[in-house]
Amino acid sequence: MKLDVRGEMCPYPAMKAKEALAKLKTGALTVLTDHAPALSTVPWEGAKAGYDAEIVEAGRGEWRITLTRHEGVLDRAAALEKISAQLRDLGHG
Amino acid sequence: MAHALPASFGRNSRFVSVGIPLIVALAIATYAFGRAGASIIVWWGVGLALGVILQRSRFCFAGAFRDLFLLRDGRLLRAAITGLLIATPGFTLLMARLVPDPSFGDLPSGAHILPVGLHLVVGGILFGIGMVVAGGCVSGTLFRIGEGYVGSLVALGGILAGLSLAAHSWNWWWQVHIGAMQALWFPRLIGYGWSIVLVIGVLALLYLAVLWWETRDAPDFPPMSSRPGAPAITFGEHLTAIQRRFLRQAWPYVVGGIALAILNIMSFTYDHALGVTGELSAWAERITGLFGMGAGTLIGTDQFDGCNLTLGDEGLLTATLALDLGLIVGSFGAAQASGEFRIRVPRHRSRYVQAIGGGVLMGYGAGIAIGCTIGAFFSAVPSLAVSGWVFAAALAVGAWIGTIVIRRLP
Repeated sequence: MKLDVRGEMCPYPAMKAKEALAKLKTGALTVLTDHAPALSTVPWEGAKAGYDAEIVEAGRGEWRITLTRHEGVLDRAAALEKISAQLRDLGHG
Repeated sequence: MAHALPASFGRNSRFVSVGIPLIVALAIATYAFGRAGASIIVWWGVGLALGVILQRSRFCFAGAFRDLFLLRDGRLLRAAITGLLIATPGFTLLMARLVPDPSFGDLPSGAHILPVGLHLVVGGILFGIGMVVAGGCVSGTLFRIGEGYVGSLVALGGILAGLSLAAHSWNWWWQVHIGAMQALWFPRLIGYGWSIVLVIGVLALLYLAVLWWETRDAPDFPPMSSRPGAPAITFGEHLTAIQRRFLRQAWPYVVGGIALAILNIMSFTYDHALGVTGELSAWAERITGLFGMGAGTLIGTDQFDGCNLTLGDEGLLTATLALDLGLIVGSFGAAQASGEFRIRVPRHRSRYVQAIGGGVLMGYGAGIAIGCTIGAFFSAVPSLAVSGWVFAAALAVGAWIGTIVIRRLP
Protein backbone atom coordinates (compact mmCIF):
# COMPACT_ATOMS: atom_id res chain seq x y z
CA MET A 1 0.00 0.00 0.00
CA LYS A 2 1.18 3.52 -0.76
CA LEU A 3 0.54 6.67 1.22
CA ASP A 4 1.49 9.98 -0.35
CA VAL A 5 1.50 12.65 2.34
CA ARG A 6 3.67 15.18 0.53
CA GLY A 7 2.54 18.70 1.33
CA GLU A 8 1.27 17.60 4.75
CA MET A 9 2.78 18.84 8.00
CA CYS A 10 2.79 17.29 11.45
CA PRO A 11 0.82 15.55 12.76
CA TYR A 12 -0.73 14.30 9.51
CA PRO A 13 2.10 12.06 8.21
CA ALA A 14 2.28 10.08 11.46
CA MET A 15 -1.48 10.20 12.02
CA LYS A 16 -2.30 8.94 8.51
CA ALA A 17 0.43 6.30 8.66
CA LYS A 18 -1.00 5.03 11.94
CA GLU A 19 -4.49 4.86 10.42
CA ALA A 20 -3.19 3.11 7.31
CA LEU A 21 -1.27 0.55 9.38
CA ALA A 22 -4.43 -0.24 11.30
CA LYS A 23 -6.18 -1.02 7.99
CA LEU A 24 -3.23 -2.83 6.43
CA LYS A 25 -3.82 -6.59 6.36
CA THR A 26 -0.81 -7.83 4.40
CA GLY A 27 2.27 -6.40 2.75
CA ALA A 28 4.14 -3.20 3.43
CA LEU A 29 3.16 0.44 3.73
CA THR A 30 5.20 2.97 1.77
CA VAL A 31 4.95 6.55 3.01
CA LEU A 32 6.17 9.36 0.75
CA THR A 33 6.79 12.60 2.64
CA ASP A 34 8.50 15.98 2.21
CA HIS A 35 8.15 16.88 5.91
CA ALA A 36 11.45 16.18 7.69
CA PRO A 37 9.93 15.89 11.20
CA ALA A 38 7.93 12.91 9.89
CA LEU A 39 11.21 10.98 9.77
CA SER A 40 11.22 10.81 13.54
CA THR A 41 7.48 10.20 13.96
CA VAL A 42 6.41 7.78 11.18
CA PRO A 43 9.04 5.05 11.81
CA TRP A 44 8.32 5.46 15.53
CA GLU A 45 4.60 4.86 15.05
CA GLY A 46 5.53 1.88 12.88
CA ALA A 47 7.75 0.40 15.58
CA LYS A 48 4.94 0.80 18.10
CA ALA A 49 2.67 -1.24 15.83
CA GLY A 50 5.34 -3.92 15.22
CA TYR A 51 6.76 -2.73 11.90
CA ASP A 52 10.34 -2.40 10.72
CA ALA A 53 11.17 0.83 8.92
CA GLU A 54 13.39 1.52 5.95
CA ILE A 55 14.08 5.18 5.23
CA VAL A 56 15.55 6.37 1.91
CA GLU A 57 16.00 9.81 0.39
CA ALA A 58 13.67 10.06 -2.62
CA GLY A 59 14.83 13.48 -3.80
CA ARG A 60 15.83 16.81 -2.36
CA GLY A 61 13.79 17.33 0.80
CA GLU A 62 11.74 14.20 0.10
CA TRP A 63 11.86 10.77 1.70
CA ARG A 64 10.33 7.34 1.28
CA ILE A 65 9.64 5.32 4.42
CA THR A 66 8.75 1.65 3.97
CA LEU A 67 7.11 -0.04 6.93
CA THR A 68 7.19 -3.85 6.84
CA ARG A 69 5.52 -6.08 9.39
CA HIS A 70 8.16 -7.79 11.46
CA GLU A 71 8.06 -11.60 11.49
CA GLY A 72 7.46 -12.75 15.03
CA VAL A 73 7.87 -10.40 17.95
CA LEU A 74 9.61 -7.12 17.12
CA ASP A 75 12.60 -6.40 19.34
CA ARG A 76 11.69 -2.78 19.93
CA ALA A 77 15.07 -1.71 21.22
CA ALA A 78 16.78 -3.16 18.14
CA ALA A 79 14.13 -1.61 15.85
CA LEU A 80 14.66 1.87 17.33
CA GLU A 81 18.43 1.43 17.16
CA LYS A 82 18.02 0.58 13.45
CA ILE A 83 15.83 3.64 12.86
CA SER A 84 18.30 6.00 14.51
CA ALA A 85 21.18 4.44 12.58
CA GLN A 86 19.30 5.07 9.32
CA LEU A 87 18.51 8.65 10.31
CA ARG A 88 22.19 9.12 11.06
CA ASP A 89 23.20 7.73 7.68
CA LEU A 90 20.78 10.09 5.94
CA GLY A 91 23.03 12.86 7.20
CA HIS A 92 25.94 11.50 5.18
CA GLY A 93 25.87 13.41 1.94
CA MET B 1 44.42 10.99 3.33
CA ALA B 2 42.47 12.61 0.52
CA HIS B 3 39.84 13.45 3.07
CA ALA B 4 40.85 17.06 3.58
CA LEU B 5 37.49 18.84 3.39
CA PRO B 6 33.93 17.54 3.53
CA ALA B 7 32.47 17.02 0.04
CA SER B 8 29.71 19.54 0.75
CA PHE B 9 32.29 22.32 0.76
CA GLY B 10 33.35 21.41 -2.81
CA ARG B 11 33.25 23.67 -5.83
CA ASN B 12 29.85 22.69 -7.23
CA SER B 13 28.13 22.17 -3.91
CA ARG B 14 25.20 23.97 -2.35
CA PHE B 15 27.77 25.66 -0.14
CA VAL B 16 28.81 27.67 -3.18
CA SER B 17 25.38 28.16 -4.82
CA VAL B 18 23.39 28.95 -1.66
CA GLY B 19 25.80 29.16 1.26
CA ILE B 20 28.04 31.94 -0.01
CA PRO B 21 25.17 34.25 -1.14
CA LEU B 22 23.49 33.58 2.21
CA ILE B 23 26.64 34.49 4.14
CA VAL B 24 27.02 37.68 2.11
CA ALA B 25 23.37 38.60 2.72
CA LEU B 26 23.80 37.87 6.44
CA ALA B 27 26.87 40.10 6.57
CA ILE B 28 24.99 42.97 4.91
CA ALA B 29 21.95 42.55 7.20
CA THR B 30 24.20 42.36 10.27
CA TYR B 31 25.97 45.56 9.19
CA ALA B 32 22.60 47.30 8.68
CA PHE B 33 21.28 46.17 12.08
CA GLY B 34 24.60 47.14 13.65
CA ARG B 35 24.21 50.70 12.45
CA ALA B 36 20.75 50.80 14.04
CA GLY B 37 22.13 50.05 17.49
CA ALA B 38 24.05 47.56 19.58
CA SER B 39 20.97 46.00 21.16
CA ILE B 40 19.36 45.42 17.78
CA ILE B 41 22.36 43.47 16.57
CA VAL B 42 22.27 41.31 19.71
CA TRP B 43 18.61 40.41 19.12
CA TRP B 44 19.36 39.72 15.46
CA GLY B 45 21.96 37.20 16.64
CA VAL B 46 19.56 35.70 19.18
CA GLY B 47 16.93 35.39 16.43
CA LEU B 48 19.35 33.64 14.07
CA ALA B 49 20.32 31.21 16.84
CA LEU B 50 16.66 30.63 17.69
CA GLY B 51 15.87 29.82 14.05
CA VAL B 52 18.80 27.43 13.73
CA ILE B 53 17.94 25.63 17.00
CA LEU B 54 14.23 25.27 16.18
CA GLN B 55 14.91 24.08 12.61
CA ARG B 56 17.72 21.65 13.45
CA SER B 57 15.99 20.04 16.40
CA ARG B 58 12.52 20.23 14.79
CA PHE B 59 11.41 21.70 18.06
CA CYS B 60 7.69 22.21 17.90
CA PHE B 61 5.84 23.38 21.01
CA ALA B 62 2.51 22.55 19.34
CA GLY B 63 3.71 18.99 18.85
CA ALA B 64 4.88 18.82 22.47
CA PHE B 65 1.33 19.21 23.74
CA ARG B 66 -0.51 17.64 20.80
CA ASP B 67 1.40 14.38 20.31
CA LEU B 68 0.95 13.42 23.92
CA PHE B 69 -2.80 13.13 23.26
CA LEU B 70 -2.76 12.21 19.59
CA LEU B 71 0.06 9.67 19.37
CA ARG B 72 0.90 9.07 23.02
CA ASP B 73 4.34 10.40 22.16
CA GLY B 74 5.85 12.60 24.87
CA ARG B 75 9.37 13.01 23.49
CA LEU B 76 8.92 16.67 22.56
CA LEU B 77 7.14 17.57 25.79
CA ARG B 78 9.86 15.88 27.85
CA ALA B 79 12.46 17.82 25.87
CA ALA B 80 10.59 21.06 26.68
CA ILE B 81 10.45 20.10 30.36
CA THR B 82 14.20 19.37 30.27
CA GLY B 83 14.74 22.85 28.86
CA LEU B 84 12.65 24.35 31.68
CA LEU B 85 14.63 22.35 34.25
CA ILE B 86 17.78 24.07 32.97
CA ALA B 87 16.33 27.54 32.42
CA THR B 88 14.73 27.71 35.88
CA PRO B 89 17.92 27.72 37.99
CA GLY B 90 19.56 30.06 35.47
CA PHE B 91 16.68 32.54 35.63
CA THR B 92 16.49 32.24 39.41
CA LEU B 93 20.16 33.16 39.88
CA LEU B 94 19.73 36.21 37.67
CA MET B 95 16.52 37.29 39.39
CA ALA B 96 18.11 36.84 42.81
CA ARG B 97 20.75 39.30 41.68
CA LEU B 98 18.24 41.78 40.25
CA VAL B 99 15.85 41.59 43.23
CA PRO B 100 17.73 40.27 46.29
CA ASP B 101 14.69 40.61 48.54
CA PRO B 102 11.65 39.32 46.66
CA SER B 103 9.22 40.01 49.53
CA PHE B 104 9.70 43.74 49.03
CA GLY B 105 7.32 44.01 46.07
CA ASP B 106 9.66 44.66 43.13
CA LEU B 107 9.56 42.33 40.15
CA PRO B 108 12.79 41.63 38.22
CA SER B 109 12.72 43.55 34.96
CA GLY B 110 12.83 41.44 31.82
CA ALA B 111 11.31 38.37 33.48
CA HIS B 112 7.90 37.28 32.21
CA ILE B 113 5.66 37.57 35.26
CA LEU B 114 2.12 38.24 34.11
CA PRO B 115 -1.21 39.00 35.77
CA VAL B 116 -2.95 35.76 36.69
CA GLY B 117 -6.59 35.52 35.69
CA LEU B 118 -9.22 34.15 33.38
CA HIS B 119 -7.57 35.80 30.36
CA LEU B 120 -4.74 33.25 30.67
CA VAL B 121 -7.24 30.38 30.73
CA VAL B 122 -9.28 31.66 27.80
CA GLY B 123 -6.20 32.74 25.85
CA GLY B 124 -4.35 29.49 26.54
CA ILE B 125 -7.27 27.29 25.48
CA LEU B 126 -7.81 29.29 22.27
CA PHE B 127 -4.07 29.24 21.57
CA GLY B 128 -3.89 25.50 22.21
CA ILE B 129 -6.75 24.73 19.83
CA GLY B 130 -5.33 27.12 17.24
CA MET B 131 -1.79 25.74 17.26
CA VAL B 132 -3.02 22.17 16.77
CA VAL B 133 -5.47 23.10 14.01
CA ALA B 134 -2.95 25.33 12.21
CA GLY B 135 -0.12 22.78 12.59
CA GLY B 136 2.29 24.90 14.63
CA CYS B 137 2.47 27.61 17.26
CA VAL B 138 3.78 31.12 16.58
CA SER B 139 7.50 30.27 16.73
CA GLY B 140 6.74 27.07 14.79
CA THR B 141 4.95 29.06 12.10
CA LEU B 142 7.90 31.46 11.79
CA PHE B 143 10.56 28.77 11.50
CA ARG B 144 8.46 26.75 9.03
CA ILE B 145 8.16 29.85 6.84
CA GLY B 146 11.98 29.77 6.72
CA GLU B 147 11.81 26.11 5.69
CA GLY B 148 9.50 26.93 2.77
CA TYR B 149 6.04 25.99 4.05
CA VAL B 150 3.42 28.03 2.21
CA GLY B 151 0.73 26.88 4.66
CA SER B 152 2.69 28.51 7.50
CA LEU B 153 2.77 31.80 5.64
CA VAL B 154 -1.04 31.62 5.46
CA ALA B 155 -1.13 30.79 9.18
CA LEU B 156 0.95 33.92 9.86
CA GLY B 157 -1.78 35.95 8.13
CA GLY B 158 -4.31 34.35 10.48
CA ILE B 159 -2.12 35.12 13.51
CA LEU B 160 -1.88 38.80 12.50
CA ALA B 161 -5.67 38.96 12.10
CA GLY B 162 -6.14 37.34 15.50
CA LEU B 163 -3.70 39.75 17.14
CA SER B 164 -5.60 42.66 15.62
CA LEU B 165 -8.88 41.31 17.05
CA ALA B 166 -7.15 40.92 20.41
CA ALA B 167 -5.88 44.51 20.27
CA HIS B 168 -9.42 45.72 19.62
CA SER B 169 -10.78 43.84 22.61
CA TRP B 170 -7.76 44.48 24.88
CA ASN B 171 -9.12 47.60 26.58
CA TRP B 172 -12.32 45.73 27.41
CA TRP B 173 -10.34 42.80 28.86
CA TRP B 174 -8.17 45.23 30.80
CA GLN B 175 -11.08 47.18 32.31
CA VAL B 176 -13.25 44.18 33.08
CA HIS B 177 -10.60 41.76 34.26
CA ILE B 178 -6.83 41.96 33.63
CA GLY B 179 -6.33 45.39 35.20
CA ALA B 180 -7.52 44.10 38.58
CA MET B 181 -5.45 40.90 38.46
CA GLN B 182 -2.16 40.46 40.31
CA ALA B 183 1.11 39.36 38.74
CA LEU B 184 1.73 36.48 41.13
CA TRP B 185 5.38 35.62 41.65
CA PHE B 186 6.38 32.54 43.65
CA PRO B 187 9.47 34.17 45.27
CA ARG B 188 7.33 36.98 46.68
CA LEU B 189 4.96 34.42 48.18
CA ILE B 190 7.44 31.81 49.49
CA GLY B 191 10.97 33.11 48.84
CA TYR B 192 13.53 32.01 46.25
CA GLY B 193 14.55 28.79 47.98
CA TRP B 194 11.12 27.21 48.24
CA SER B 195 10.17 28.58 44.80
CA ILE B 196 12.97 26.76 43.04
CA VAL B 197 12.36 23.57 45.05
CA LEU B 198 8.67 23.73 44.14
CA VAL B 199 9.12 24.50 40.43
CA ILE B 200 11.93 21.99 39.85
CA GLY B 201 10.09 19.36 41.87
CA VAL B 202 6.87 19.78 39.89
CA LEU B 203 8.79 19.79 36.58
CA ALA B 204 10.56 16.56 37.54
CA LEU B 205 7.26 14.94 38.55
CA LEU B 206 5.67 16.06 35.27
CA TYR B 207 8.58 14.55 33.35
CA LEU B 208 8.03 11.23 35.07
CA ALA B 209 4.27 11.44 34.55
CA VAL B 210 4.73 12.01 30.81
CA LEU B 211 7.16 9.11 30.61
CA TRP B 212 4.73 6.88 32.48
CA TRP B 213 1.85 7.85 30.17
CA GLU B 214 3.97 7.21 27.07
CA THR B 215 5.16 3.80 28.14
CA ARG B 216 1.94 2.61 29.76
CA ASP B 217 1.07 0.19 26.97
CA ALA B 218 4.67 -0.50 26.01
CA PRO B 219 6.72 -0.91 29.18
CA ASP B 220 9.83 -2.09 27.35
CA PHE B 221 9.98 0.78 24.85
CA PRO B 222 13.28 2.60 25.27
CA PRO B 223 13.72 6.20 24.18
CA MET B 224 15.24 6.68 20.75
CA SER B 225 18.99 6.91 21.07
CA SER B 226 21.41 8.30 18.55
CA ARG B 227 24.69 6.47 18.68
CA PRO B 228 27.70 8.31 17.37
CA GLY B 229 28.68 7.42 13.82
CA ALA B 230 31.95 5.99 12.62
CA PRO B 231 34.89 7.20 14.70
CA ALA B 232 36.77 10.21 13.36
CA ILE B 233 40.56 10.18 13.55
CA THR B 234 42.07 12.76 11.22
CA PHE B 235 41.36 16.50 11.35
CA GLY B 236 39.33 16.22 8.13
CA GLU B 237 37.26 13.35 9.47
CA HIS B 238 36.52 15.32 12.61
CA LEU B 239 35.43 18.32 10.52
CA THR B 240 33.15 16.08 8.50
CA ALA B 241 31.69 14.53 11.64
CA ILE B 242 31.05 17.95 13.22
CA GLN B 243 29.45 19.28 10.07
CA ARG B 244 27.21 16.20 9.78
CA ARG B 245 26.14 16.29 13.37
CA PHE B 246 25.52 20.01 13.43
CA LEU B 247 24.11 20.69 9.97
CA ARG B 248 22.99 17.48 8.27
CA GLN B 249 21.46 15.26 10.92
CA ALA B 250 18.50 16.40 12.96
CA TRP B 251 19.43 17.18 16.54
CA PRO B 252 17.68 15.07 19.16
CA TYR B 253 14.71 16.97 20.63
CA VAL B 254 16.38 17.16 24.00
CA VAL B 255 19.39 18.95 22.51
CA GLY B 256 16.94 21.51 21.10
CA GLY B 257 15.27 21.93 24.51
CA ILE B 258 18.62 22.45 26.26
CA ALA B 259 19.86 24.86 23.57
CA LEU B 260 16.64 26.89 23.84
CA ALA B 261 17.05 27.06 27.61
CA ILE B 262 20.63 28.30 27.31
CA LEU B 263 19.62 30.88 24.68
CA ASN B 264 16.80 32.06 26.94
CA ILE B 265 19.15 32.45 29.92
CA MET B 266 21.54 34.43 27.69
CA SER B 267 18.72 36.66 26.42
CA PHE B 268 17.53 37.33 29.96
CA THR B 269 21.13 38.01 31.06
CA TYR B 270 21.38 40.60 28.32
CA ASP B 271 17.99 42.23 28.87
CA HIS B 272 14.81 40.18 28.83
CA ALA B 273 13.45 36.66 28.38
CA LEU B 274 12.54 35.33 24.91
CA GLY B 275 9.21 36.08 23.24
CA VAL B 276 8.17 36.39 19.60
CA THR B 277 4.60 37.71 19.44
CA GLY B 278 5.09 41.36 20.45
CA GLU B 279 6.57 42.24 17.06
CA LEU B 280 3.75 40.49 15.22
CA SER B 281 1.19 42.52 17.13
CA ALA B 282 3.04 45.68 16.04
CA TRP B 283 2.67 44.57 12.42
CA ALA B 284 -0.99 43.71 12.93
CA GLU B 285 -1.50 47.28 14.17
CA ARG B 286 0.54 48.83 11.34
CA ILE B 287 -1.36 46.91 8.68
CA THR B 288 -4.84 47.53 10.11
CA GLY B 289 -3.78 51.15 10.76
CA LEU B 290 -3.30 51.64 7.00
CA PHE B 291 -7.02 51.02 6.59
CA GLY B 292 -7.94 53.12 9.59
CA MET B 293 -8.79 49.96 11.53
CA GLY B 294 -6.07 50.05 14.19
CA ALA B 295 -6.86 49.63 17.87
CA GLY B 296 -5.66 53.14 18.70
CA THR B 297 -4.98 52.70 22.39
CA LEU B 298 -3.93 49.83 24.61
CA ILE B 299 -4.39 50.46 28.33
CA GLY B 300 -1.99 49.07 30.90
CA THR B 301 0.39 47.25 28.57
CA ASP B 302 3.29 49.26 29.99
CA GLN B 303 2.71 47.82 33.47
CA PHE B 304 4.45 44.47 32.94
CA ASP B 305 7.26 42.89 30.93
CA GLY B 306 6.31 40.23 28.42
CA CYS B 307 4.93 39.86 24.91
CA ASN B 308 2.50 42.73 25.32
CA LEU B 309 0.36 43.88 22.47
CA THR B 310 1.91 47.03 21.01
CA LEU B 311 0.78 49.74 18.65
CA GLY B 312 3.98 49.49 16.62
CA ASP B 313 4.60 53.23 16.84
CA GLU B 314 8.24 52.98 17.94
CA GLY B 315 9.66 52.82 14.44
CA LEU B 316 10.25 49.88 12.15
CA LEU B 317 13.79 48.90 13.06
CA THR B 318 13.29 47.44 16.52
CA ALA B 319 14.92 44.69 18.56
CA THR B 320 11.83 42.52 18.21
CA LEU B 321 11.86 42.86 14.42
CA ALA B 322 15.52 41.78 14.42
CA LEU B 323 14.59 38.77 16.57
CA ASP B 324 11.67 37.57 14.44
CA LEU B 325 13.45 38.20 11.13
CA GLY B 326 16.53 36.45 12.50
CA LEU B 327 14.37 33.46 13.43
CA ILE B 328 13.07 33.10 9.87
CA VAL B 329 16.49 33.69 8.29
CA GLY B 330 18.23 31.33 10.73
CA SER B 331 15.73 28.60 9.98
CA PHE B 332 16.12 29.22 6.24
CA GLY B 333 19.90 28.91 6.49
CA ALA B 334 19.71 25.76 8.59
CA ALA B 335 17.15 24.20 6.24
CA GLN B 336 19.38 25.01 3.26
CA ALA B 337 22.44 23.55 4.95
CA SER B 338 20.64 20.32 5.82
CA GLY B 339 19.03 19.96 2.39
CA GLU B 340 15.55 20.25 3.87
CA PHE B 341 14.53 23.56 2.33
CA ARG B 342 11.80 23.21 -0.22
CA ILE B 343 8.72 25.23 -1.16
CA ARG B 344 5.85 23.06 0.04
CA VAL B 345 2.28 23.78 -0.88
CA PRO B 346 -0.58 22.05 0.96
CA ARG B 347 -2.48 19.71 -1.36
CA HIS B 348 -5.76 19.86 0.51
CA ARG B 349 -7.71 23.10 0.32
CA SER B 350 -8.93 22.47 3.85
CA ARG B 351 -5.37 22.97 5.16
CA TYR B 352 -5.54 26.63 4.13
CA VAL B 353 -8.79 27.04 6.05
CA GLN B 354 -7.14 25.33 9.05
CA ALA B 355 -4.09 27.61 8.77
CA ILE B 356 -6.22 30.76 8.78
CA GLY B 357 -8.73 29.59 11.39
CA GLY B 358 -6.05 28.17 13.69
CA GLY B 359 -3.94 31.28 13.15
CA VAL B 360 -6.77 33.62 14.18
CA LEU B 361 -7.41 31.58 17.36
CA MET B 362 -3.68 31.61 18.17
CA GLY B 363 -3.32 35.31 17.51
CA TYR B 364 -6.30 36.20 19.67
CA GLY B 365 -5.18 33.81 22.42
CA ALA B 366 -1.62 35.15 22.40
CA GLY B 367 -2.96 38.70 22.48
CA ILE B 368 -5.09 38.39 25.59
CA ALA B 369 -2.82 35.89 27.37
CA ILE B 370 0.18 38.21 26.70
CA GLY B 371 2.36 35.73 24.90
CA CYS B 372 2.71 32.47 23.07
CA THR B 373 4.25 29.11 23.91
CA ILE B 374 7.60 30.89 24.28
CA GLY B 375 6.76 34.21 25.95
CA ALA B 376 3.92 33.12 28.25
CA PHE B 377 5.13 29.55 28.90
CA PHE B 378 8.78 28.78 28.13
CA SER B 379 9.92 32.15 29.53
CA ALA B 380 7.30 32.48 32.29
CA VAL B 381 7.86 29.16 34.09
CA PRO B 382 11.61 29.84 34.65
CA SER B 383 10.65 33.39 35.74
CA LEU B 384 8.96 31.58 38.68
CA ALA B 385 5.69 33.19 37.60
CA VAL B 386 2.39 31.57 38.51
CA SER B 387 1.10 32.73 35.11
CA GLY B 388 3.34 30.26 33.24
CA TRP B 389 1.67 27.29 34.92
CA VAL B 390 -1.88 28.57 34.40
CA PHE B 391 -1.13 29.23 30.73
CA ALA B 392 0.53 25.81 30.32
CA ALA B 393 -2.46 24.00 31.81
CA ALA B 394 -4.82 25.94 29.53
CA LEU B 395 -2.57 25.16 26.53
CA ALA B 396 -2.78 21.45 27.33
CA VAL B 397 -6.58 21.60 27.53
CA GLY B 398 -6.69 23.54 24.25
CA ALA B 399 -4.32 21.10 22.53
CA TRP B 400 -6.51 18.21 23.68
CA ILE B 401 -9.60 19.91 22.21
CA GLY B 402 -7.55 20.60 19.08
CA THR B 403 -6.77 16.90 18.61
CA ILE B 404 -10.50 16.14 18.75
CA VAL B 405 -11.08 18.82 16.11
CA ILE B 406 -8.41 17.58 13.69
CA ARG B 407 -9.51 13.97 14.05
CA ARG B 408 -12.86 15.01 12.61
CA LEU B 409 -11.37 17.01 9.75
CA PRO B 410 -10.26 15.28 6.51
